[in-house]
Amino acid sequence: MTTTRATTAQAKTQQAQTIAVEVKAIEQVTPLIKHFTLAAADGAALPAFSGGSHIIVVLRGATRVYRNPYSLLGSPHHLDTYEIGVRRMEESRGGSRFLHENVSVGSRLEIAHPVNLFALAKIARKQLLIAGGVGITPFLAQLEDLRGGAAPYELHYSVRSPEHAAFLPRLREREGDRVHMYYDSESHAIDFDGLLSHQPLGTHVYVCGPAGLINRVLTTAKRWGWPDSHVHSEQFSAPPVGDAFEVFLARTKVTVRVPPDQSLLESIEAAGVEVPYLCRGGVCGFCHTRVLELDGELTHNDHFLSDVEKSRGKSIMPCVSRAHCRSLVLDL
Amino acid sequence: MLISGIKSKPVYSPLSADTHGRYHLMLAIGGAATALERVLDELAAADPDALTRARVLFVPSADTDPFADRPQLEVRRFPDIPTVLAALRILLDESLMGTRLYVAGPESFIGRAMQLALEFNMNPDEIRAEALGSLARRVHCIHCRTLMEDVHTNIVECGGCARWLLVRDHYSRRLAAYMGVMVDAEAPGTLPAVQVIFP
Repeated sequence: MTTTRATTAQAKTQQAQTIAVEVKAIEQVTPLIKHFTLAAADGAALPAFSGGSHIIVVLRGATRVYRNPYSLLGSPHHLDTYEIGVRRMEESRGGSRFLHENVSVGSRLEIAHPVNLFALAKIARKQLLIAGGVGITPFLAQLEDLRGGAAPYELHYSVRSPEHAAFLPRLREREGDRVHMYYDSESHAIDFDGLLSHQPLGTHVYVCGPAGLINRVLTTAKRWGWPDSHVHSEQFSAPPVGDAFEVFLARTKVTVRVPPDQSLLESIEAAGVEVPYLCRGGVCGFCHTRVLELDGELTHNDHFLSDVEKSRGKSIMPCVSRAHCRSLVLDL
Repeated sequence: MLISGIKSKPVYSPLSADTHGRYHLMLAIGGAATALERVLDELAAADPDALTRARVLFVPSADTDPFADRPQLEVRRFPDIPTVLAALRILLDESLMGTRLYVAGPESFIGRAMQLALEFNMNPDEIRAEALGSLARRVHCIHCRTLMEDVHTNIVECGGCARWLLVRDHYSRRLAAYMGVMVDAEAPGTLPAVQVIFP
């Protein structure tokens, strides 16, 4: 699997500068997904981005700050607004609930500069996009880059039922029969073997959606001999809730308590200690932190560390991972 | 005189089977076929069916044919390099994702096979190559863009513009050639000793 590498300079820029934006429009596109249109509060053009990019949205709640990653779904050719699609997550820390319930047209938010960890391979001979649910969002922007290009492409989009097919009218209008729909409610599933066993040499496959879908694509592609460099996936994990625990930061000599509904990274930040980050979703590897002492177990929820590294217990990605422990000392 | 440490200079290693691949497309020139025999043995050891999804394109030399005792293997024989490359292009166009390319032969041949593979967006993790045989280089004159085959010496006279060129280690995968740069630009007519360094 290939993820696009970002630089430390990008991470620093992203954390240092946020952009004040105003919510221009909100549309409920499915029972669970709201479509937000944002524009710079000062009316200026927003930074350029490429299809597959995400932004971090900073949400200032009454008692805490959320920083959630969302893919940009608007056209990279139109920088007067950014568009994001937010699925309401019930069993989570509350960032998406905050966006659904507390944000309205005219609300002011802060966003960080876009970063692309899910870029298209521009020299592919064919592009195969596979989306599940709200995982459609990065593809909406990528399709704007693909349309009119020389390489053929197709989108395979799987959702629970027709009412959950977010942005389908837009897709149908722009992409026509390049969109292939699959509905769980009609027991119509993607034929992964059929799809991945007969693609011409030089095809790249991209998958974004729930973990189950991503794993099916990755394992099926591997079985049919796809090399890692042609397989791209993006899954932002929302930081899972868990038991409370305490962590001691060795360099800054601070003890931080991590409550059940706050991530380790958020708790460390709330204590005034900065950790470099880019995606806050367990993908990019920037918040990689050394574990100095551990009495208990780490709960790794990221897609960055290898299984061996996870079992070794010497490092943790605090954006999404937690611990069940009597004591934990981090190199921060 | 040659500038070393240039990162674009290709590095090769002994061929081994990539058992994650589903289809195996193999090319060999003459005696380099022995490297493919090793790959075929490894593939067969990992999965006896793998050889039914393997194909060999071979330019035999003299009268040795190392593939004679593998009746189940599809081997196509070609008289020379242009014909084997023409067949490779047709096969790459028909090939599916999951194909691995193995090339055994002189470096200049590997370069031309890789150049074709690049057109089909094959990446380094789909191609394995072992350089065996002549080190003679394809040289691209950066001044007039003439391409010279079979260059054995450190300095060569360009067949297009007649400049004396230093053959650099700077390699272009797109052109499948090393760059040749005018060697006596500052002091016309003053040439270093011409030596055979790519035997």
